[in-house]
Amino acid sequence: MCWQTADMTATTPIIAAAAAVDAVKTYGSGDAAVTALDHVSVEFAPGKFTAIMGPSGSGKSTLMHCLAGLDELTSGEVTIGDTELSTLNDRQLTELRRTQVGFIFQSFNLIPTLTAEENIVLPLTLGGRKGDRQWIDTVIDTVGLRDRLSHRPNELSGGQQQRVAVARALASQPTIIFADEPTGNLDSNSGGEILAFMRRAVDEFGQTIVMVTHDANAAATADRILFLNDGQIVHDMSEPTADKVLDMMKSIGN
Amino acid sequence: MFRLVLRGVRAHLGRLILTLISVVVGVAFVSGSFVLADSLRTIFDQVSEDAFAGVDAQIRAVEGEINSSSADIARFSDDVIDVVADLPEAAYVEGGIFSFEKAYTIDAAGEVVRPTGPPVFTGSWDGPSPVSSFRIIDGAPPRGQQVVLDPVQATAGGFSVGDEITISLPTGDPERFTLSGTIDFGEGGTGGAYFILFDLPTTQRVLGLDGLVDSIVVAAADGVSPEQLVEAITPVLPDNLEAVTGDVVIGEQQESFGSFISIFGNVLLGFAVVVLFVSTFIIHNTFATLVGQRTRQFGLLRSIGASASQIRRMVLIEASGVGVAASVLGLLGGLGVASLLKQLFSAGGGEFPDGPLEIRSRTIIVVVIVGMVVTLVSALLPAIKAARVTPLEAFRSGGRRERSATFRVVSGSAVLAPGLVLMAIGMFGNAGGTASRLGVLGVGGALTFIGVSMLSAMFAGPVASAIGAPIARLRGVPGSIARGNASRNPQRTSATATALMIGLALISGVAVLTQSILDTFDEILSESISADLFIFESNQGLEFSGVLVDQLGAIDDVDQVSGFATIEVLIDGEPRSATGFDSSTGTSVVNMGVIDGTAEVGQDGIALLDDRASELGINVGDLVSVEFEDGYRTDLTVRGIFDDAAVVESDWLLDRELTRTHTITDDVAFIGLTYVDGADPIATRAAVEEVASAFPQLSVQDNTEFQEEAQGQIAQLQIVITGLLVLCLVVAFFGIVNTMALAVLERTREIGLLRAVGMTRRQLQSSVRWEAAIISLFGALLGVALGLLLGSAAVIAIPDSFVRTIGIPWGQLVAYIILGGILGVIAAWFPARRAARLDVLDAISTD
Ligand SMILES: Nc1ncnc2c1ncn2[C@@H]1O[C@H](COP(=O)(O)OP(=O)(O)OP(=O)(O)O)[C@@H](O)[C@H]1O
Ligand SMILES: [Mg+2]
Repeated sequence: MCWQTADMTATTPIIAAAAAVDAVKTYGSGDAAVTALDHVSVEFAPGKFTAIMGPSGSGKSTLMHCLAGLDELTSGEVTIGDTELSTLNDRQLTELRRTQVGFIFQSFNLIPTLTAEENIVLPLTLGGRKGDRQWIDTVIDTVGLRDRLSHRPNELSGGQQQRVAVARALASQPTIIFADEPTGNLDSNSGGEILAFMRRAVDEFGQTIVMVTHDANAAATADRILFLNDGQIVHDMSEPTADKVLDMMKSIGN
Repeated sequence: MFRLVLRGVRAHLGRLILTLISVVVGVAFVSGSFVLADSLRTIFDQVSEDAFAGVDAQIRAVEGEINSSSADIARFSDDVIDVVADLPEAAYVEGGIFSFEKAYTIDAAGEVVRPTGPPVFTGSWDGPSPVSSFRIIDGAPPRGQQVVLDPVQATAGGFSVGDEITISLPTGDPERFTLSGTIDFGEGGTGGAYFILFDLPTTQRVLGLDGLVDSIVVAAADGVSPEQLVEAITPVLPDNLEAVTGDVVIGEQQESFGSFISIFGNVLLGFAVVVLFVSTFIIHNTFATLVGQRTRQFGLLRSIGASASQIRRMVLIEASGVGVAASVLGLLGGLGVASLLKQLFSAGGGEFPDGPLEIRSRTIIVVVIVGMVVTLVSALLPAIKAARVTPLEAFRSGGRRERSATFRVVSGSAVLAPGLVLMAIGMFGNAGGTASRLGVLGVGGALTFIGVSMLSAMFAGPVASAIGAPIARLRGVPGSIARGNASRNPQRTSATATALMIGLALISGVAVLTQSILDTFDEILSESISADLFIFESNQGLEFSGVLVDQLGAIDDVDQVSGFATIEVLIDGEPRSATGFDSSTGTSVVNMGVIDGTAEVGQDGIALLDDRASELGINVGDLVSVEFEDGYRTDLTVRGIFDDAAVVESDWLLDRELTRTHTITDDVAFIGLTYVDGADPIATRAAVEEVASAFPQLSVQDNTEFQEEAQGQIAQLQIVITGLLVLCLVVAFFGIVNTMALAVLERTREIGLLRAVGMTRRQLQSSVRWEAAIISLFGALLGVALGLLLGSAAVIAIPDSFVRTIGIPWGQLVAYIILGGILGVIAAWFPARRAARLDVLDAISTD
């Protein structure tokens, strides 16, 4: 299936895991209108770990939500794989979120009434699927949750809860995972672990991940960093280091 | 997904159980109504079968014959007995006569022995026979000056077999009889009724019905079927009699009991529907709150791939669970409700025959459907709302989009307006009878409730804030927090208050109606009655012997006496009920409001109600033809037209001299009398009571006592109805508990914060309780206001002859408002304690 697609589109370059073309998002209207995304065009290559940085209110979350099909653009286009989101109805969007997209939030990631394991497989069970058990076991072992599977979220630490969220995002082997400040609520240790898991997912499983972060060190673990300011991409950095990131942040801050 | 629902249910078990209770109460009432009605039907079916167990055929008067005595069936000559006995097909023939509330046993202390509620039967019994359903327990059947009684009566009067006992009789002269034995009826006892049985000739003599019977029962000879027996009897009967098989009689009896029980069951079901209606608001409110609280969770589920219909289904599955559980519990609860209702009605004066409670499969099916439908309908809107939650709402706190105010006003008005219109039609419309007008009024009332409930969210905020103002001033910080909380979610405040509102609206509506009936009654008494004393049978309003009229007239200080007899006649060929009264004296004891001519009709005259006169185009001076039950026919001159039938209770007035000549028994429904000027009221009254004491069933009352007695009866009825409606308050109560528990849970974090900055547990508790009090007061105020409206509307819709002045029981209404507030405080007791017990740190770190 995958090969076929590649064959048929052989003339174009490798299809991006996700892309935005001329994306505009405005909240409100008239004088109170806020332009959260101002003609943003960007592509995310498959198998890469991308970080998005920028000052508060610069539109990072908005960009993620629109890319993930959680919110609608005012104008412009978003594609996940080769699917254009604006053409989808609610049912199709739901199906897309279930199968193609993973999401990790800063907090309130888990359903409090379900166990860790049940939370992990939730996107699969929602779709009435069993999923690839071997893969799920791999994921669970990767995030080191084997001995916590039957625990409820309130019996887990914040770091453990976030690991469950990462595992859930990975479980359905989505085309792309979006993580909005996944380490924002965690201490540096737990945060480091989460970053390491995401890194491994990209390196070992070829997973595509886009992550919003305010932390220069966290961002430096990514393959590429996009800098946003006032709803526009102001810099696109590849092979980042913490120092380069800090410099860039300073220049945007000014 | 099912697991998700299960887990959710387990997590919110407490809240769902509270919801469950409100459904269960309503469903249990439905099931209780069915169970009670079915059980009664079975008991009475059995009674009917027992009563005619050995009867192959019964001979009775043809239906449609005019029959003056309202309580008894038509009588006919006992000559037929011998004729039928001569038939070879008849093996055994027995004539009988029965009457009730005519004779009473008197105990050693001179007191009347009678049950409260069930009647006292007087009748004939020839001893055990193939056609008799009485069985001797002890002693022997009555012969001549002997009597048999049921054992309950014998015990109550302290009578033993062989004793000489005094029995008061309709002749006015009590006689002594020897108790020859005690009897039992069929299998099931006497159902609380008392029996006084003589042999046939004695019964005929003491009832003043010589040579008459009201039924002849026949057993067929061997090899003769009941149908053959009936065929053989029919030719020998005169025209006014007919013969039917025992099965026909049983069927008719069962049917007439059955239709009575159906009415009774339907009235109960009506209350059940009201309770369910109230529950709907509570269930809806709980589900709406539960959904609201889980907005983030639904958002999260949506963002990881749950579809809108999956979310909707989750909520509906949860609701179905509640529905199923409620149905099952309600079904069982129905047994409890049925026994409770039995007790409630027994306390209200009725006596319920004993028997097992039965659950028919129809009950199960209806109850399950009702439970499911009510729950699912209530959960439908919340489920739709849940499905509308967008994924983004997972990480946006607050900012829930509420439906716009205009939408509420428009939809609320769209329901309220037709409600008010229907109420107006019910009040002022001319079409249909009182029942259908009240039906229209009821539907209008229900719509008004819903409309007001929808609109009340508009003003719940400011009103709750206004109610809370004095509380805030009095109670300081907890008071103002309570006030703020009560007004901060107007939708919830109004939804919670709605249940209480409906309950109290109905209860205060009934109070207004009751007060109006009492006021009308007072008015009638002062306008229409000029008698100094009234004599009547107060237990069931039954007729009694008219000989008393003459006896009372003989008392020196008694001026005018008139008896009032209710009879059936044919007027110009139409069956009518009429009143025979002593027309020369009657106008001085009762004021009929004569508007033309005179009410002193004399033996060749008649008077009629103005409505009837204009309907039939009859004027004073016209002739009408009147036929009596004995077949006598005469033309009477219309002497007068009157407009007040409140006391005489019929549209036609004749002279009693005429009516008693042409009816079998000289019975009257009541007697009114006046004292001569300057008579000593105490002495005269004592003389009247002395004479009337020959009829122990009678009450002698003056205007004030009459009024008090009527008030007592009406008040008792109000107690029974209110008792049923209290179930609405029970449901509303759980609604408040639920809302407060949910509110406390929702505000866990806030409560932690308050505690962290120094609020004491006690202050916290009091703020939760006051909040509930404010919400409840809001509901109670609305409810009482609506009750006033509904009650007044009902007074207007019901004909003036029954109730015409609107009476407002202010004291009761204020009490209901206070009751509402107290109910709220009690309902908030546990939620408040729970709030106060929350651990500060846990509370703050809750999501
Ligand atoms: N629902 C909304 N309604 C109106 N304006 C919004 C809404 N959501 C976001 N905005 C505005 O859009 C802009 C971008 O917001 P966004 O949440 O994308 O910022 P962000 O870069 O994620 O900031 P942070 O780092 O603080 O999370 C902000 O100015 C914000 O005020
Ligand atoms: Mg953000």
